[in-house]
Amino acid sequence: MSIFEYNGAAIVAMAGKNCVAIGSDLRFGVQLQTITTDCPKVFQMNDKLFLGLSGLGTDAQTLHEKLVFRHNLYKLREERSMKPTTFAHLVSSVLYERRFGPYFAGPVIAGLEDNGTPYLCGMDSIGAMETAKDFMVQGTSPESLYGMCESMWREDMEPEELFETLAQCLLSGVDRDALAGWGSVVHVITPDKVITRTIKGRMD
Amino acid sequence: AAQLFCTSANMSRRYDSRTTIFSPEGRLYQVEYAMEAISNAGAAMGVLAKDGVVLVAEKKITSKLLDTKAVGVRREKMYKLDDHIACAVAGITADANILINICRLAAQQYHLAYQDPIPVEQLVQSVCDTKQGYTQFGGQRPFGVSLLYAGWDEHYGFQLYQSDPSGNYGGWKAAAIGAGHAAANNVLKTEYKEDITLAEAIPLLVKVLSKAMDTSLSADKMEIATMTKDASGKVVHRIFDSAEMQPFIDAANAEKAATGAAAP
Repeated sequence: MSIFEYNGAAIVAMAGKNCVAIGSDLRFGVQLQTITTDCPKVFQMNDKLFLGLSGLGTDAQTLHEKLVFRHNLYKLREERSMKPTTFAHLVSSVLYERRFGPYFAGPVIAGLEDNGTPYLCGMDSIGAMETAKDFMVQGTSPESLYGMCESMWREDMEPEELFETLAQCLLSGVDRDALAGWGSVVHVITPDKVITRTIKGRMD
Repeated sequence: AAQLFCTSANMSRRYDSRTTIFSPEGRLYQVEYAMEAISNAGAAMGVLAKDGVVLVAEKKITSKLLDTKAVGVRREKMYKLDDHIACAVAGITADANILINICRLAAQQYHLAYQDPIPVEQLVQSVCDTKQGYTQFGGQRPFGVSLLYAGWDEHYGFQLYQSDPSGNYGGWKAAAIGAGHAAANNVLKTEYKEDITLAEAIPLLVKVLSKAMDTSLSADKMEIATMTKDASGKVVHRIFDSAEMQPFIDAANAEKAATGAAAP
């Protein structure tokens, strides 16, 4: 089994009309054993920026803690929060620093720019960035997730519809994945608020 | 026999050139000179209240040409070190910037290692250990900065600390650094009372500052910051803007004028 599949994860991020949504599964497992079902893989960095991290659990955790470190120092020095593009480049930079002994993580960044435009970005474990206008997926069953997103995504979805679409893609996408699932959490980010919903899916 | 000892009256001249050396009388002249530099710098003072900590400082750089919107120039004395700790500086601004950065890094490094906010005293200790190093090795001069740290942690609640170039620090109920600090400390000794609230501490400090400053107070010549908890229990660091400072300034100036008029 690949090191990226040791813990298992599924992350989907989608862009709507002046909003973004990002969700992950809740399973924490060690190979084929499920340990807990309350482990989200998406973290809030600031009021309009979320980071999802798939891959090896310990690397995802450490990477998140290091990025909080960097973001906190940035906020103190610049007296403002990081923009999504800036943060994405920071993540890429931090990953490439470990080019020859990498963090086994698959990041997804979802946020809103200052003017409300959605920002979506995914990268590999050594920081190769890819931005998208529609959706970004990471995890142990990307093919299933891509398939669902490709057929369900439409342009300019409002927050409520975006939530429904993302939730269905995530829930159905992990059905065929033994290593991800056991419920999911979805955050919808709009210019004025963030709505977080925990969804009970197939508990297997 | 060769004369082994110099009998010059001013022995200190031989020892000043090396910062990390004791003088024959057992003094560290460079550290003392650093403190001298600070007593000519803009005053800063703080009071620990039941419900928070307040810091007040005098700005020395008040040119109209200053671009007050540029980051880094917007404030001269008050800085945030972490979500739960802030400080006021007195002394050489360039030195202060380095120390503030060191404080911020120390706080984040602690948080990275322990996933917990750094206790206030630990942060003060860690910075003071750095400052002490500059008095003992490296041949570099000490930092010409004194700091007042205001913070909250779950172990000891609200706290106020003061550190100086020697690397020494103390925890205080009220403290003053910079120009006029001796007089300010005297006033604080008589006026401070246990269980003082923040609402009482702010006007007290503004009054003490106005006594320490030669000119009358105005919003562009001073900074006020508080460390409190909001309704939900979250620690909040607030730097007052001019509008918020004005009522306190007016009250202090009025009192100064009244006592000035009453004195013979």
